[in-house]
Amino acid sequence: MGVAFVAHCLLNQNSKVRDGAHCAGVYSPIIDVLRAEGWRVEQMPCPELAFAGLNRFWAVREQYDTAAFRRHCRRLAAAVAGAIAARAEQGEDIVLVGVEGSPSMGVTITSSDPDRGGRPAWPDGTPEHTGGEGIFVEELHAELDRRGITFRVAGETHALATHDVASERARLESVLEEGHG
Amino acid sequence: MGDERSFRVALVADRYVNPAPGTVDGLAVLEAAGWGVMQLPDDAYPAEVARLLLAEVAEQVEEFSRHGYLFILVGERAGLDEALARAGVAIPPRVVPASAAELSEFLAAQPDPPALAAAWDPAG
Repeated sequence: MGVAFVAHCLLNQNSKVRDGAHCAGVYSPIIDVLRAEGWRVEQMPCPELAFAGLNRFWAVREQYDTAAFRRHCRRLAAAVAGAIAARAEQGEDIVLVGVEGSPSMGVTITSSDPDRGGRPAWPDGTPEHTGGEGIFVEELHAELDRRGITFRVAGETHALATHDVASERARLESVLEEGHG
Repeated sequence: MGDERSFRVALVADRYVNPAPGTVDGLAVLEAAGWGVMQLPDDAYPAEVARLLLAEVAEQVEEFSRHGYLFILVGERAGLDEALARAGVAIPPRVVPASAAELSEFLAAQPDPPALAAAWDPAG
């Protein structure tokens, strides 16, 4: 057991991009597993909310990959890394729980489309998902590496075509268990 | 399926998100009532860590507030009032519940979020 630093929207679906909220508030399939397994839950800020606002468009990684957004993410990452460092110094196991497919919060899968831009139009099924981290996770990863802090990752998977709650839960439980293997 | 957000957000002290055994599980109550949660930094964090985190919380509250989302405060956190003031946001209605029932009653007494009256139909 340890501390799970979770994406903001897992405790607050109100932060999601419009049409993206899967439930009223707390996304229980992830949070309930963490609590049942005895993990502390700590919420990270939403990188997109304060930067692009509640009326932001759905976006891919390339659209957020600007110097200004990276400065914003580094500021957030410094704040979060301070909290993670405090827990790591206490000997706590650290897991980051992100949002797979997100341009900012993806932990192993982000979204990519180098040609996307202009008037918004993207049909369902656009093959935008690709392996990699979102921009905030990338910046936080770099900051934690700089501090010598190790961590594991898991992700909420609603955006993926392969999503189902049972698999999402099993993957999370597997990641949580790794520290005790 | 349409967007299911509630437009209701609770700023919540850490002890209600990660409750000690036998204390009020605020997160469970808020989850059941359909409120989103913005967690406040644990009191055990160094002051500078907490200050940075509270500044980010306040900035996000400002964005929600401009769009008519309803806010409450569950518990207390040193430095929050100042962080909200710097972001130009009023301190929301506050409860320090001694029981889950007290929190539930407080939630039930809250008005509808102004955003629900806006043009955007979340079920649309």
